[in-house]
Amino acid sequence: MKNILTVALSVVFLASATSSSSADPAAGKTVFGAKGCADCHYTDGPAKEKTIDDQLAKKGPELWYAGSKFQKAWLAKWLTDPKPIRPQKFNSLTEENPADHPKLAGADAGSVTDYLMSLTSADVASGKVKPKNNPKGRQIFTKKMPCSGCHQYTGRKKNIVGGRSGPSLVEAGVRLNPDWILAYLQKPKVFKPVKMMPVFVGLLSDKDMTNVARYVANFKPKKK
Amino acid sequence: MKKLMTIVAFAVLAFTFAMASATAEETAKVFKFYCSQCHGLEGKGDGPNVTKDFPVSPRNFTNAKEMDKLSDADLKNVIMDGGPAVSKSPMMPPWGKTLTDADVDGLVKHLRTLCKCKGKQG
Repeated sequence: MKNILTVALSVVFLASATSSSSADPAAGKTVFGAKGCADCHYTDGPAKEKTIDDQLAKKGPELWYAGSKFQKAWLAKWLTDPKPIRPQKFNSLTEENPADHPKLAGADAGSVTDYLMSLTSADVASGKVKPKNNPKGRQIFTKKMPCSGCHQYTGRKKNIVGGRSGPSLVEAGVRLNPDWILAYLQKPKVFKPVKMMPVFVGLLSDKDMTNVARYVANFKPKKK
Repeated sequence: MKKLMTIVAFAVLAFTFAMASATAEETAKVFKFYCSQCHGLEGKGDGPNVTKDFPVSPRNFTNAKEMDKLSDADLKNVIMDGGPAVSKSPMMPPWGKTLTDADVDGLVKHLRTLCKCKGKQG
């Protein structure tokens, strides 16, 4: 009994120590600055882009709502081993993604993750979207609307299908916060006022958008 | 005085011309940003999204024969409401909530310069 108690106590202690030592947004902000991340990503919202030229002048995606957009575990891992998310180079229709995003070492990746996860948007309501493969969402995504024209995803034969001009949605359910997907569809002007993707507000109902968000959030690695 | 009049007239003309070409330039930017994802930078239907599994062939705007079958109103309609509005593929998105009326009118003119055709009249 004593043994069990000791083990339990150490687990609790370890867990609390780990979480408190890793949550360090201020240190992450310093690393973000020192590593030159801000050369390509802005972190102070709200959105600054007003014209196509503003959008094209950006070298990388805005991160001022990163904490509402990404899943923490995915972000921490991605920063240590960044694999391309967009098939094409950012803002380019002619060049492939050169896959040259800088890597961060473990400790830096942890603190930058904490910093980015602290950047949230009040426009993302939480707990609205439960990931689920649903026929209505799938039908809109694959047939009724042209989502697959620009976004890659995993097809029924487990092959990657879809267009290349938008970010890939392969395993998007691991990367994106399901609630952000819905907020992004509902409030495009808040997150990306000038973007290559059509505005679907007024074309899809809130229910349709929720179904699409649930469908996309269910894009996860297939269980083996 | 006559000389001044000529200068003023010339300035007005130059200004008008500059305004018109700025609009065409703006439209070219709109075309490149939105349309060329699928229709290609030169409008030949060969944008980066058109891979081997793209389910349809986006319109080649330089094909005068095909483009002549469509009126300007047809073009505006399909840009605003998407492929299904003219019994074509939903892969052509409805841009009506994204683009302004002026953008769409500009694009219709731009497409006519690409096809070097006037389209179905009336």
